[in-house]
Amino acid sequence: MADDALSETRKIVRQVLVIGALGVLVGAAVRFPLVKRFARGEFRETFLSPADYPGIRLITLREAEELWAVGEVVIFDARPERSFREGHVPRARNLPATESKLKIPPDVLELPRQRTLVVYCEGGDCQSSLALAKRLNDEGFRDIRVMTGGWEEWKKAGLPEEAGDAEK
Amino acid sequence: MLKNKTLLVIFRLVLGGLFVYAGVVKVLDPLEFAQNIRNYRLVGQSLSFLAAVVLPWLEILAGVALAAGVWTRASALIISGLLVFFILLTLVTIARGLDVECGCFGALSRKSGFGVILEDLGMLFMGLCLLFAPEKRNR
Repeated sequence: MADDALSETRKIVRQVLVIGALGVLVGAAVRFPLVKRFARGEFRETFLSPADYPGIRLITLREAEELWAVGEVVIFDARPERSFREGHVPRARNLPATESKLKIPPDVLELPRQRTLVVYCEGGDCQSSLALAKRLNDEGFRDIRVMTGGWEEWKKAGLPEEAGDAEK
Repeated sequence: MLKNKTLLVIFRLVLGGLFVYAGVVKVLDPLEFAQNIRNYRLVGQSLSFLAAVVLPWLEILAGVALAAGVWTRASALIISGLLVFFILLTLVTIARGLDVECGCFGALSRKSGFGVILEDLGMLFMGLCLLFAPEKRNR
């Protein structure tokens, strides 16, 4: 009886491993082109495929600072309202873009689609600026730049900041 | 231990079907699913990508096997294991105060929270019933 249970367990473990291995093989086979792109170094920073999101580009802190200094851009802060109130990039507008709820206000939708937009979130591995950028891309905006270093990098560099509700 | 055969067959079909469905919606858009995994901010970019390539197929294969009644216990074990993992993941996410979409059923995806855990527990119950169901004679 104990032998039976043991051989049954072994059998189940073997089957689990077979299904697992099959999953890896089928996944790799079906998505071979994608896996190849990954192996070549793509998708290490974001999962955006330029073909799907032609309007989005990632930029460095330096580029963001230059755009900000020129002042022609609209800057969106994708962090929660509370963090925004504590401090943000001057002239930035708060558009909290947590993944599960995100509505683009009507006046933003009225902006010309060629307008340069800069979006950022906390920095580090925050994902909300990307979520916001994708939504803006889907609304037809064609020049969306994601400042990947986020607020963290901006603050660390000692660049100007602003606190309070500003232009919410 | 649940012995009602009809009920076990229903569990197999429902649970297997749910996993096949969940897998198929994820297979359709791997990059979107990779982003979903990344949003949990638990694993890095590479691991998110690899999981997005493999995990949906694991769900589909285990789901098909379970629904078909082939390797029932092994597939029930995989599915139960995944569910335990999803439940832990959701708990950790709630504890960290992250607002994340669960990424569980494609278009039916919603905020990762206690509702998701409840569903997972329901599915886990079915999975465990199947895993520990009395063995069939004459395999």
